[in-house]
Amino acid sequence: MGIEGQYPLLFLIWLAPFAGAIVIWALGPKLKSWSGPIGCAAIGVSFVATLASWADAVRSGPAGATTVVGAHQTMVTWIKGFALGLLWDPLTLVWTLIITGVGFLIHFYSMGYMHGDRGYPRFFAYMNFFVFAMLTLVLADNFVVLLVGWGLVGLASFFLIGFWFERPSAVAAATKAFVMNVVGDVGILFAIFILVAVVGSVSFADAFAGVQAHAYNGQLLFIACAALFVGCAAKSAQVPLHSWLPDAMEGPTPVSALIHAATMVTAGVYLIARCWPMWQGSADARELVGVIGGLTALLGAILGIGQWDIKRILAYSTMSQIGYMIMGVGVGAYDGGVLHFFTHAFFKAQLFLTAGIVIHALHNEQDVRRMGGLRAREPFAFWSMLVATLSICGFPPLAGFFSKDAVVYETLVKGHPVLYAIGVLTAGITAYYMFRMVFITFFGTYRGEIDPSSLGIRHPELAGTSAGLLKHPHDEAAPHEEHAPAWLMTAPVAVLFVGTIFAGFLDLGGTNSFWYGLLQPVFGATIAPVEGAAPFSELASSALVFIVVLAGIGLAYLRYGSTAALRDSVARLRNESIRMFPLLTNAFYFDAAIDALFVRPSRAFGTFFGVVVDPLVIDGAVREARVSALWLGHLFRSFQTGLVRAYALTIVFGAAAFIVYYAVVGAH
Amino acid sequence: MLTALVLGTTLLAFLAFAFPKSANGAAKWYGVAVALAGLVLLELMDPAAFPPDESARWLSYPFASNFHLGMGGVSYALVQLLATVTVCALLATNVPRQRNFVGLMLLLEATMLGLFLAKDLLLFALLWDAMLIPVFLLMIGWSVHPATAWRYLIYNVAGGLLLLLGTATYGVIYGTTDVIGKGQVTPISDAWAPWILAAFAVAFLVKTPVFPFHTWMPDTYAELPSPVAAVVSSVQSKAGLYGFIAIGLPLFTAWTHEFATVMIVLGTIGLLYGAVIALVADDAKKVVAYSSLSHLGLILIAIFVFNDYALRGAVVYIVAHGFFSAAMFLVIGYVETREETRLVSRIGGLARGSPILAGAMAIAALAALGLPGLAGFAGELFILTGVYQAGYAWLAALALVAIVLAAAYMLRVYQGFMHGPEQADLPQRPDLRPLEIVAVAPLFLALVLLGVNPGPVANYPDQAYTMLAEKR
Repeated sequence: MGIEGQYPLLFLIWLAPFAGAIVIWALGPKLKSWSGPIGCAAIGVSFVATLASWADAVRSGPAGATTVVGAHQTMVTWIKGFALGLLWDPLTLVWTLIITGVGFLIHFYSMGYMHGDRGYPRFFAYMNFFVFAMLTLVLADNFVVLLVGWGLVGLASFFLIGFWFERPSAVAAATKAFVMNVVGDVGILFAIFILVAVVGSVSFADAFAGVQAHAYNGQLLFIACAALFVGCAAKSAQVPLHSWLPDAMEGPTPVSALIHAATMVTAGVYLIARCWPMWQGSADARELVGVIGGLTALLGAILGIGQWDIKRILAYSTMSQIGYMIMGVGVGAYDGGVLHFFTHAFFKAQLFLTAGIVIHALHNEQDVRRMGGLRAREPFAFWSMLVATLSICGFPPLAGFFSKDAVVYETLVKGHPVLYAIGVLTAGITAYYMFRMVFITFFGTYRGEIDPSSLGIRHPELAGTSAGLLKHPHDEAAPHEEHAPAWLMTAPVAVLFVGTIFAGFLDLGGTNSFWYGLLQPVFGATIAPVEGAAPFSELASSALVFIVVLAGIGLAYLRYGSTAALRDSVARLRNESIRMFPLLTNAFYFDAAIDALFVRPSRAFGTFFGVVVDPLVIDGAVREARVSALWLGHLFRSFQTGLVRAYALTIVFGAAAFIVYYAVVGAH
Repeated sequence: MLTALVLGTTLLAFLAFAFPKSANGAAKWYGVAVALAGLVLLELMDPAAFPPDESARWLSYPFASNFHLGMGGVSYALVQLLATVTVCALLATNVPRQRNFVGLMLLLEATMLGLFLAKDLLLFALLWDAMLIPVFLLMIGWSVHPATAWRYLIYNVAGGLLLLLGTATYGVIYGTTDVIGKGQVTPISDAWAPWILAAFAVAFLVKTPVFPFHTWMPDTYAELPSPVAAVVSSVQSKAGLYGFIAIGLPLFTAWTHEFATVMIVLGTIGLLYGAVIALVADDAKKVVAYSSLSHLGLILIAIFVFNDYALRGAVVYIVAHGFFSAAMFLVIGYVETREETRLVSRIGGLARGSPILAGAMAIAALAALGLPGLAGFAGELFILTGVYQAGYAWLAALALVAIVLAAAYMLRVYQGFMHGPEQADLPQRPDLRPLEIVAVAPLFLALVLLGVNPGPVANYPDQAYTMLAEKR
């Protein structure tokens, strides 16, 4: 894959953020407020180098019998079969543009948002490190480097979720995210074992060539895909490994925007899109991924209805939208799934950053019940939130419309009517809960001065999640009078408007579109349009989705936005808080189930082995000679002095006899 | 040159005892200089052309035995690890009566250098017992509970006795013990071979240690002064695994296959058993001790699946584990000297006042939990790739469970120490001093370099690999 050669710019793209992280890390306390600009500059360099390398990514040339696209840079060979290099093709280009482009905007925004925080340099070091890790993931030409990136983004996520590490809730959320992601990592590890055993190599090219050559026996290809998908599910918050994502909102808001919305959580989409030849070879794998993606889209949307924390609403919407992407790449609509990643990165980053502006303006309030009427007070935030919300709802002709409709319609084309129905239904629910948030937050009157209990907030000191037990540490350091200039935060959001509104136009024009032209060399004939595969046209489908979306918005308006609803909003919100279904407040009991099935049993085993078996049974006589003496009666008491030695010798020689016996008898 | 290295270190070790009492500080730097000189000597060697063997006859009756030292790929990986860890441990040393401590540490290094270079079974067995003495003296001299010290000695002497018995039997039957590195010289049909191998195996299993011979280990590692714990856990524990690779596999090739099932079962039990106990242990050093039981169980499995990837992975992981367990013990030692406790439940919030300490512990813990990009990951990857390739798919899957558990217990220790609210009733102490940073920095550097490219260690030429290839 890729045209062989030396591509120094790739190393610049890849390592500039790493250099930034190291510099800020090493000199952080001395750099102080300079670490922000340095962090931004590192990402900026990477972004410019990405643009400069564009031509390399889309260049195509012959290599042997087939045509290859992009660039390939060899790096190092560990041992036989483990040849590692970098790959630069259109798919990587798409991701790198978002990682460095949107990443730059979010870094820029952070200079305002994190202004005055005690950990300001540390924050930029982690953020730069994250970008480096994410680039490692998408630049890899093999599963090992991909897994290295995969693990390192998890690490960056761990440190950034737990950024305010004095808060126990943040610490718990960070650990949960990391451990659940390790579950995903080992899934990918298992896939690597299979690939090395089958094709003797970890490179993408060899793995995919193996599919062509039918090298995988029986169910092996499906198992490899399923193992890879465990990694995707953990990283991209797919059911049942999703529950870390809402908790991850403990991190600062720019982190949520960059890592837990725009880039890292879409790594699963990337992996499936990258490994499309494997999925093309296994219908079962496509079925599995499509169904899980659809379920996640639906479940995330349903859970989004019941949230009061503005960031958790957005977190569940992220989960739901990634469900769409996964469903898309799962059924084989690779270009659509990737397009939804692309547009989602803009509007979801905009949603989070705007939420950050609101949170910042309200001194770290995150509970939407204590907001209200912000339209007049924060007009920029209102318009930004409204446009981004319309985009995520798929309102034509905003970006989300093109990508979501592409995914939803493709499920029908590829023969999954049930998934299609889920996609349409979820679009309606999405419109409902997103506009619920917009109405509660920006319309009516401000409720921040009302007694929290009259809004149905049971533990005002725990309201939302992140208002948490401790105040935001950066409050202590910086009184709010010393806010950074507001344009630091509004300017990046203003730039995101462009993507949120126009990004979808790239897909305009069917097979003549820019998007199709970009990705066709990667996915080949699999994304070619199929005539007459669906019972009705894409236009009809779009109209159907649009009607459902309007219904969702209408319902939200009736419940939260109409004059009647706004008049007694306090009473309504309190009623809704008190009468919320336990199923929603407990998020379908996924956490409780994981705790009961895995966490508690492991600890119980550990306690049993560590407190009972190890000291008393295996080591019993050695450590507690008296216990044995009690068991074995007075006979042993006279030997007590020698017992320790006798026991040690007995166990050693006894085991020797056992091993020999086994070897000799068992062998013949 | 090899003889000079081993005997020179031994002689210079004894010189440390001759330092005047007032020169404790100088003794430490003397020790660092000696260990560093050894490390430099090793690094100057070319892995493609090791220095020639050096041999002298020292016993002709009842069997021929030579003082025979030689270098192979696996030995090279281990002695490099040993020399590096010794330098770091000595740099981090901060105990009373330093000259004696330094002398014993250098003696420990010298005996282990000899052990890993020995090409003669009798020499190997004698050094095996000899290396217990410095550790035992360090234990009674530096505040380890006598019961723990005795248990360590009894267990390991019992193992050493078996090794010696096996060696003597071997010598009497086959006429010579100068056989390490000579390929398979033991007749397969011999009735004595399984018994000799069994004696060796038990000695190796006790030393590693492998379940159920491990009970001497948690207390020993927890109570030893941190620098000694670092050397013992990172290098001495590898003597048994080295024994299997350098002696068990080549000398008793056919018989090791008969033993494989038992070994794999013991390794697997240890792998999971150690991991779940590490999940709940409150003493941070015991967490590391039980995690070692888990990790070394994995290496034992790797050796006994007879696969090229797994064996190379075993060597990489032996080195990686050496670096990260040494780093863990040294860093926990730093915490202990500051907070006067090492209980996870007691300590908290250190990251706020001591960010460098937190960073150091983060790297050590992340390497231990197998973070991709650090050395431990490469070892696990190669090992499990080999385990799967050898046909043990379910075993590979089971090992992945242990990897997830490792993430949980290592983060538990790290976050317990570093994150959360600060504990007001614990002493507030300054962050790491420059010397303390220098002492662990080489370990971290090695973990990163080996993580980026484990190729050099995996590709040192060694007869173990070629024999495995011939067998297949």
